[in-house]
Amino acid sequence: MGKGTPSMAIIEAVGLRKVFRSLERGSGIWGAVGALFSRTYVDKVAVDDVSFSLEPGELVGYIGPNGAGKSTTIKMLTGILVPSGGQLRVAGIVPHAHRMANAANIGVVFGQRSQLYWDLPLRESFELLRSIYDIPRARYLENMRHFAAILDLDRFLATPVRQLSLGERMRGDFAAAMLHDPKIVFLDEPTIGLDVVAKEAIREFIGTINRDRGTTVILTTHDLADVERLSRRIILIDEGKVIYDGSLERLREEYGTHRTLVVNLAESYPEFVVAGAEVVSRELNLVRLRFNRRALTAEALIRRVTERYQITDVSIIEPDIDSIVRRIYLEGYHEGAALRQAQDDTPS
Amino acid sequence: MRHLRVMLGVYVQYWRINILTTLEYRENFLLWFGFTFIYHGSAVLALWIVLNRFPSMNGWTFRDMAFLYGLWMLAHALHNTFFSTVGDIPEHIRDGEFDRLLVRPLDTLFQAIATPGQVFPDELILALITFAAATWYSGVQVDATFLVFVPLIVAGGALIDLAFNLFISTVAFWFVRVDALRWIVIQLEQEFTRYPISIYSRGVRLLLTFVVPFAFMNYFPARFFLHKAHENAMLPAEIGLLTPAIGLLFVAMAYVFWRFGLNRYSGVGH
Repeated sequence: MGKGTPSMAIIEAVGLRKVFRSLERGSGIWGAVGALFSRTYVDKVAVDDVSFSLEPGELVGYIGPNGAGKSTTIKMLTGILVPSGGQLRVAGIVPHAHRMANAANIGVVFGQRSQLYWDLPLRESFELLRSIYDIPRARYLENMRHFAAILDLDRFLATPVRQLSLGERMRGDFAAAMLHDPKIVFLDEPTIGLDVVAKEAIREFIGTINRDRGTTVILTTHDLADVERLSRRIILIDEGKVIYDGSLERLREEYGTHRTLVVNLAESYPEFVVAGAEVVSRELNLVRLRFNRRALTAEALIRRVTERYQITDVSIIEPDIDSIVRRIYLEGYHEGAALRQAQDDTPS
Repeated sequence: MRHLRVMLGVYVQYWRINILTTLEYRENFLLWFGFTFIYHGSAVLALWIVLNRFPSMNGWTFRDMAFLYGLWMLAHALHNTFFSTVGDIPEHIRDGEFDRLLVRPLDTLFQAIATPGQVFPDELILALITFAAATWYSGVQVDATFLVFVPLIVAGGALIDLAFNLFISTVAFWFVRVDALRWIVIQLEQEFTRYPISIYSRGVRLLLTFVVPFAFMNYFPARFFLHKAHENAMLPAEIGLLTPAIGLLFVAMAYVFWRFGLNRYSGVGH
């Protein structure tokens, strides 16, 4: 967490707010026609009093459901949108006031939109970016060599972008965003639609850039596996407000209370009941048991099982971040909420 | 200084990419080129047919009209070659590509102009040839005044086109889709630059002089070079040399509007 002195922070947002004003519009054709003459506006608060601070070199997951205000925040950080309120500094610069100076400090990858030129060999896009960011030739060549090595670009540098696979194109987009050595990169859904292998290559690259170059990374994603693999800190946002800012471990500790024990039975028992655990599924001799780690240790549960049944194998599945976050969106985040629930789950 | 050098470098790259892209799709390019040829060819043919019936239109012969058309075609082709990408801005706003321009360390409008597409100077070359032929055919005297002012007038005419292109694209910050508005202005320009505006009613003449000054792209300069100052006599012949100033004025106004629209896009004042 950003606990350093404020002057150390590379990104500092205090009470950030964004309100969109739009014409009120009824539904259907008549609503649309009515909107032509309507003068009633509705205000929608997209980002509401968001504060956080990032140290140089941090890698943070900025997580939230659709419409939570993730993209709006990113657009303010990148200087595309002017905040309706609050203060914001990115590498010491107020982004919207000095948009071009800010642009030189940042790299942006929009997972769903490419900045590569569709009709031309990948290399041509890099050459154009070299001109746009005025990258010194030597620096450019060195970065190209480095990225080509990590991302395996050499194979398709001469291929028109339209003929690249999504994974290859994405690797090209990453190199494109990093060519000018940005201090901060914003990655908006960088692994969307990619297959497992390509996802892994991209995650590897993000990790390497963050580690070796000390680049600060803000990652917004739906795929929480990205976050789990890459960042120690996450900021959860919902309905424009930050609902959690802290380590992934703490979140897991507090919310990931339920583990799953998978048991292979030696024979098919007609009935399977164990105190303190709930049978989630049973296929032939394979049983999944859900239990609360605060109420019962895995060892104790296994003992209870083996007292009554013959088993051949056991394994434990830890709660995944996906289900933890889903639970927080449904129930809201409350400090210590998980502890209270642990007591409820304790078999009496 | 550094900024200018960077912009120049990007602009050179932009043309390199334009040309590479055009060559990548050669058949498409040839089809476009053929269309451009037929389009302008049929416009000139239509003029010829009309003036074959009536030997002159309000004192303008086919030779005069050829010069009128050639002048407009050259200015228009100059605009299409260097500034047509401004017309793609609404599409970039709609599909979100516009945000990309805002996260790069260069002026947004410059980037919008220098966003590579499939631009090729074919129409400009055709227009240069047409204009040279029309000048010779109309018998306009090629003297020092001509050589100094025609390039400026053509550039000024291209700026008038740019001003309206930019103005319409800027409206997209509010309404996103502006196809209808663009179609109206293009029709207005194409219909009313083909004939001398002296054949139209007073209202249309005022409109084309002061509001959408397409008359400065070709009518007023042609009136000067063809020595037809007797029509619209309240305006002196030399007004035809004002095109560059009119072009700069309208581009400046469109640019102010553009800055206003860009601020709105970023949500200043909300």
